[in-house]
Amino acid sequence: MNLLWTILGSALNVAAVVLLAPLAEGVLRKITARIQSRQGPPLLQPYYDLLKLLGKEDLESGECPRVQRFAACLAPTAILAVATFLPMGFAAPMHAHGDVILLVYLLTLVGISTLLAGLAAGSAYSLLGISREMMTMITLEPLFAVALIAGAVHTRSFHLDTVLHGSVYATPGVPWSGFLLLGVFLLALPAFVQRVPFDVAEAETEIMEGALMEYSGPKLALIKFAQMAKLVTYCGLFVALFAPWGSHLVFPVGWLVFWLKVFLLVLLVTFVAATHARYRVDQAIRYFALLLGAACVALVLASLGH
Amino acid sequence: MSVLSKCREALLCLRAGRVTLPYPAQPRPTPPRFRGRPIFNAAKCIGCAGCANNCPAREILVVDLCQEIRVIQYLGRRCTFCGRCAEVCPEKAITMSRDFETATPQIRDLRQRLDLFMSTCQRCGRCFQAPSPLEQLKLKGYRFDDVEHERWIFRSKAFLDSDATVDDIPIELD
Amino acid sequence: MIARETLNALKTRFGPALIRADLPADNRLFVWVLPEVVRDLSRYVFRDLDARYVISIGADDRPFSGNYLVAHNFAFDRDHLLASLLVHLPPDAPRIDSITDVVPAANWAEREIRDLLGIEPVGHVQPKRLVLPDGWPDDVHPLRKDVPWNIAPAGFDPSRDYPFDPPPPGCTVVPFGPFHPTLDEPAHFRLFVEGEVVRGCEYRGFMVHRGIEKLAESVLTYNEVPMAAERICGICGCVHNVAYAQAVESAAAIQAPPRAEYIRTIMLEIERLHSHLLWVGLACHIVGFDTLFMQSFRIREPVMWIAEKISGNRKTYALCVIGGVRWDLTPDLQSELRQVLDRLESEWQTAVAAIRNDRNLQRRTRDVGVTPPALVKDAALIGPVARAAGVDIDCRRDHPYAAYDRVAFDVVTHQGGDVWGRVVVRMLEVFESIRIIRQCLDKMEPGPIQLSITDDLPAGRLGLSSVEAPRGESHHFVVTGENQRPRRWRVRAPTYQNLQAIPAMIRDQQLADMTIALGSIDPCFSCTDRMETIDIRSGTARTWTQAELLAQTRARPE
Repeated sequence: MNLLWTILGSALNVAAVVLLAPLAEGVLRKITARIQSRQGPPLLQPYYDLLKLLGKEDLESGECPRVQRFAACLAPTAILAVATFLPMGFAAPMHAHGDVILLVYLLTLVGISTLLAGLAAGSAYSLLGISREMMTMITLEPLFAVALIAGAVHTRSFHLDTVLHGSVYATPGVPWSGFLLLGVFLLALPAFVQRVPFDVAEAETEIMEGALMEYSGPKLALIKFAQMAKLVTYCGLFVALFAPWGSHLVFPVGWLVFWLKVFLLVLLVTFVAATHARYRVDQAIRYFALLLGAACVALVLASLGH
Repeated sequence: MSVLSKCREALLCLRAGRVTLPYPAQPRPTPPRFRGRPIFNAAKCIGCAGCANNCPAREILVVDLCQEIRVIQYLGRRCTFCGRCAEVCPEKAITMSRDFETATPQIRDLRQRLDLFMSTCQRCGRCFQAPSPLEQLKLKGYRFDDVEHERWIFRSKAFLDSDATVDDIPIELD
Repeated sequence: MIARETLNALKTRFGPALIRADLPADNRLFVWVLPEVVRDLSRYVFRDLDARYVISIGADDRPFSGNYLVAHNFAFDRDHLLASLLVHLPPDAPRIDSITDVVPAANWAEREIRDLLGIEPVGHVQPKRLVLPDGWPDDVHPLRKDVPWNIAPAGFDPSRDYPFDPPPPGCTVVPFGPFHPTLDEPAHFRLFVEGEVVRGCEYRGFMVHRGIEKLAESVLTYNEVPMAAERICGICGCVHNVAYAQAVESAAAIQAPPRAEYIRTIMLEIERLHSHLLWVGLACHIVGFDTLFMQSFRIREPVMWIAEKISGNRKTYALCVIGGVRWDLTPDLQSELRQVLDRLESEWQTAVAAIRNDRNLQRRTRDVGVTPPALVKDAALIGPVARAAGVDIDCRRDHPYAAYDRVAFDVVTHQGGDVWGRVVVRMLEVFESIRIIRQCLDKMEPGPIQLSITDDLPAGRLGLSSVEAPRGESHHFVVTGENQRPRRWRVRAPTYQNLQAIPAMIRDQQLADMTIALGSIDPCFSCTDRMETIDIRSGTARTWTQAELLAQTRARPE
């Protein structure tokens, strides 16, 4: 019985991400266009783009095509695996089969798939792209780990269903560490989802798409989809950690509330992306280091019970 | 505060509204003096070839089939729509239309050919007095541009080769 | 009589080496000198008299005087004087002392003379090919009078490579171009990178070389050349159109009527408006700020519409003939232009206020691509690049042409010489342009727009014209000739000088800043590569480095 619920829940999560991620991207593009005083593409354009790319010939370009194909498959797989560990309006389907530590590793795997993609392509620009990606990952990934650990410290448990349910606020008094972490994460959200002002790793006008340089056709479709899925999944993770209110209502109301919150976050990311210039990698790293410092302060506060 | 200034910027943009047009569903009209495709009117043309002599792109060819028949052919491939032909034409037989959507899979569609019956002055053979020495017709006599291969026969090549004939046809050097 | 005073200064110093002097007007000086003193004379003029280097020109004068001709042009901005030092060289072994070691800005000009005319600059610091494609045979020099304009040389070698310099130790090579999303035109910057820091750069360009100067000498006539000149550049065409017409008019000593001069001024300033607005948008796009890019273009669009209404086309105005302009500004168009300017001014003021308060944008542009005033002098930089470094030069005020001597305007400068300075200079110049156009509309009197020319233009006369393009000074040199066409026409676009400073500007800076530094000089490669060699029929794919996207074919169809 439990196995059946696990499978159904995972399938529902994965289907939701697969179907709604391009829509979130479409909303992002449409609103950006509106801010830029233009018509913008149709809302469903990302679906058309992905379908078109999937239908193209699978060219082999770049240093190591087999690894490229593997990286292209790994990217969406990793992010969809993360999705099965998220509570999207009901308990995380796989919560009995993994804990917070596994989640952190899966999130790292998502980043590694990009690194692998760029390395396998092997062109000067893609290597530049992944070197930037590596620098950002080193300073960014710890932030998630810190937030999850702070939650774990509060709830004295590494179980997913306890930690991913607003655990950062689970203190006896005013949750100072929780608020601090909330602020840090709001500031870091564009960086996690690789949008302006923090999309250094694939700055189109500077390094010609960076890690995605030698990808076309179906491989590009998979990686593009992985990026869209990353947007919704990270927003989902944010909601689960910091804004869980209403998600525990009975299905399907809780499920709808969850996705509504995710789309609100997407709007926030859109607004920031449309009104900012891209930061240079050294400026971005300085900014992340500051956020990491603040997160560590929050962790100390959490361990002290605040 | 940086966030406030960004909000203000965004409001500015939103206030401007949407300005892009869904072309070609909604085309943009062209103003009256727009320099589009030139249209040649055979009824008004007197065959002076002033247009051909003043076209910077050398896209107007002239060939004399015999004493009475002169063919003027506008090719339109490299036409830059500068309007010099229309300006120089003494009979205002060329008008710059407002047509700019000239994409076609067959380049022959852009051609305009005028077959003209010429009656020449028995004494001098000239058609008109050019207004300025800069626009004078230096190319006197018969014309034999290569209409079949769509090539202008350049005088300067003959000049450089000091060759007073081009394909056995004697021409007058500049 | 500043021309006479300068000539006297040269005579006292170099006396017997000056063969002949022409002072056709108080603001023009042509001096013929012996080849032996060229280097010392150039150093004296550049350093001691503190003139600005403009360009060096080579010409094949053998059919007329039996010699080759080399001219070094300098500008005395404070004194409103343009001067040219000319040298005749014997036809059998043309060589001349290179002036690049005393005037570093002459680097490209001398290499171009070497490529296109075969005049060897003896002692040049970097005697490499500049203009001709790599496979071009060494002994065919296109600008010589005995080489036809449409030659396809027999010895063309498609497999020959360009000898790039080796990278400094510890650096990898990152190719930038010929295809890159930021560049609108092909150019190849070979960057030597250590991590994310640029340590050096080599440029290989002239891929859009089209043969316009040779065409003007062989095929086109006086009134057809402005159409070709206009198409040298995709943004600043009017500048070349006007500068050429003015150079010929200066050579032939004819004057366009006043109304034509006002119309020329108005169109030049309209062009400056649309160019600067485009550039601000482009700079924002380069640093990833697409919203401001879209908004700049939205504010700019009415300028394009009014230009289309006035001239018949959004960008190629087809404005000049020798002795005047081709169309007139009717009273309806004038009032419509005023309305457009009013609206533009208020919208741009809001945009400028937003940009000046934007710290995010300033973080990407402050202290990036810095050009200290010493570099501005040595590399002879011009335009907003120079003005952003605090160097106060502007051809509209220093060498007045058209109607600029009859209107009042300020020259905008900034301190610091970084990209942010160039942004500010260009933004504020928009307001000055609006001011100039309004004054022209007020002062314009009814009258003829073309001079009636009744005689052939005299041959063998020299003409110089410096026009302030949006990017800097655009300088044209014309020698009038026979058959209604010039003997020699040289175009020096502003990017020609500004590009040479790029390696110095980006050294020890971040790679990410390369694009914005390059973009900040507002490069117009088409302007720079304005001479063609041939129609290359090579279908070979060339690889510079393993990573670079290939230029599949450089064949141009007939």
